Amino acid sequence: MAAVVELDRISKSYENKIAVKDLSLSIDAGTMFGLLGPNGAGKTSSIRMMVGITMPDSGTVNLLGKPFTRESLKRIGYLPEERGLYKKMKVMDQLVFMGELRGLDKTVAAKRAHDWCERLQILEAADKKTEELSKGMQQKIQFISTLLHDPALVIMDEPFSGLDPVNAVLLQDTLVDLKKAGKAILFSTHRMDQVEKLCDAICLIDRGRAVLSGGMREVKSRYERNRVLIDFEGDNAFLRHPAIAEYKDYAGHVEIKLKPHADAQSLLHAAAEKAQIYKFELVEPSLEEIFIATVGEKIDA
Amino acid sequence: MRDIQLIAKREYLEQIRGKAFKITTILIPVIFAVIISISVVAGKYSGSGKHFVVAANNATLAEDMRAQLLNDKDANLQVDVLAPAADSDRQKLVDQVTQKQLDGYLWLVQDANGHTAAVYAGRSSGDFTTAGRLSDSLDRAILQQQLTGHGVPSTDAAMFTKGVKIKTRQVRDGKEVDSSTFGTFIAAYVMAFLLTFTVMMYGMNVGRSVIQEKTSRIFEVMLSTVEPKDMLAGKLIGIGAVGLTQLSIWAAAAGIFSTTALAASVMTGELTIHISVPQIILFAVYFLLGYALYSTLFAGLAATCESEQELQQYAPLAAVPVWLSFSMITFIMSNPNSFWSVAVSLFPPCAPIAMFLRIASQFPPIWQIALSLVLLLASVVFVVWFSSRIYRIGILMYGKRATLPEIFRWLRYS
Repeated sequence: MAAVVELDRISKSYENKIAVKDLSLSIDAGTMFGLLGPNGAGKTSSIRMMVGITMPDSGTVNLLGKPFTRESLKRIGYLPEERGLYKKMKVMDQLVFMGELRGLDKTVAAKRAHDWCERLQILEAADKKTEELSKGMQQKIQFISTLLHDPALVIMDEPFSGLDPVNAVLLQDTLVDLKKAGKAILFSTHRMDQVEKLCDAICLIDRGRAVLSGGMREVKSRYERNRVLIDFEGDNAFLRHPAIAEYKDYAGHVEIKLKPHADAQSLLHAAAEKAQIYKFELVEPSLEEIFIATVGEKIDA
Repeated sequence: MRDIQLIAKREYLEQIRGKAFKITTILIPVIFAVIISISVVAGKYSGSGKHFVVAANNATLAEDMRAQLLNDKDANLQVDVLAPAADSDRQKLVDQVTQKQLDGYLWLVQDANGHTAAVYAGRSSGDFTTAGRLSDSLDRAILQQQLTGHGVPSTDAAMFTKGVKIKTRQVRDGKEVDSSTFGTFIAAYVMAFLLTFTVMMYGMNVGRSVIQEKTSRIFEVMLSTVEPKDMLAGKLIGIGAVGLTQLSIWAAAAGIFSTTALAASVMTGELTIHISVPQIILFAVYFLLGYALYSTLFAGLAATCESEQELQQYAPLAAVPVWLSFSMITFIMSNPNSFWSVAVSLFPPCAPIAMFLRIASQFPPIWQIALSLVLLLASVVFVVWFSSRIYRIGILMYGKRATLPEIFRWLRYS
């Protein structure tokens, strides 16, 4: 099956700044894809080219297995980072209007808007004007307007920014449901914990270029499991073991970073000889650490 | 096409349902009626009901002057005579004016050769109506005095000096028809003002609507399905339709009003108003073209701004052509075919208003109307091209207002 989105070496520059350079990526149906990068890395610029708001200077965009056409946009739901609603419009009118713009019939749009409002528990707000609603409710309405036309591809730019925890979880669950229903989902963020939990594949971009991309497991497997967490009681002399590069000792709990290619098993043996071990865990690096290692220390998440 | 229709419909419904639409629909005709009645009433009665003293060294002249002033029934003056007056009386008159017992006095000195020197002193210095009345009356009084001095019987002299009122008629379609300059002026003035007002109001409305979409960050959501040109077109059509709706409501209300007895009693004589069918059609055409010109201009302008306040700062600048044509209103009405009147009525930003004033006072040659429409249309095309480019880029630029060099760079993107 063809990828839902396929970018082939797209580039875009403005006057004196290269926004995106030779970016390629591909997202399959039923996957959740994380587009990561520091602020100003080119995430929003890349997304804008996917949804035809701007055109790439070079390279091609394929949507739903075909070269880009505006007709395909009716099957994409896009929630920009800078998002808003018509303040004076009633919620239901607004949702129906957005649905109609994406090609839905008026009655179908009204029916689906009703169902979604019910699902996200904001049905009582449907007859109110948008400006009367709380920020959290407005965000729910924005999600609904993005999803109303049952898009095959959902693109959300920083969807979690400014969300309260309750709504963040609600959105997260909704996205997981959509993924299970076979939709392709792309979201951009700099919140690594969410990406780590949700995404099947990632692409990390920095200064307009892809610096790391692939399936989540595959990306992580490129990095050594070089961190060890030990809970113990007794002699801590094993901390002088040659495999250890550095450590932090929190009285009974140590966090250890191993030297490259060091043998963790010999450390376990050495520790077990001297002390009572309650826990010995060899952990893979977190995405955040990978991110920092790849991009440098200059992120402002 | 469907997108344009949906956007136009949304824009139309939102504006029609809004408070501003209801308020302006009712309030503007009311304000018009009030302003016109005030100016009619004020024009008729200004300088009336005043109390003067005519002081002269010649008692006959003073009496004749008094009689002339009292002849003017509209003025409703109270005139006292002080004759023969001595220089010492002058200070007394000054005191009376100061104490507001008098509005003013006319000091006449006639020498042995019959030359008259006149000074009027009053509380207000800019009272042109009174000055005009006094001057006319004095001329007639002196004429009468000289006629009687040369042996003409005083009844004949009074008849000779009686003024003649000019009745104005208009030559239309090769015939002389009854017309009243005052009624024509009012009609032209009202229509030109209405045209200006609606064009500017709805032009600004488009600008405000653009800036609201920009500040509420709805644009990017919309742009992932709709093209910028469709958004702009839908907006212009929707808001333009609101303007036409409002004008139709007013036209219908005026039509109903003109059949009532009240209208029949008001619209007689001097106030007879002619509004012809071509005038109505041209009004609609000039409204649409003027609106298209100004609204696209405002849309482009709004796209470069960051907030509604910022847009408001530019509005007076964009309204300069309107004030220009309005400042020429009396000139155009009295010299509808002069070079400057023609030039202003062909200049696209002024055309809707200036040409309309000319149409009202004297129907201009058809080629001039056609030329003004062609020029207006050409400038609409240009402004649409220019503004839509700026609009397309500007609506996605957040953070700060665009500088002029930036705007020119935007024009080159495509």
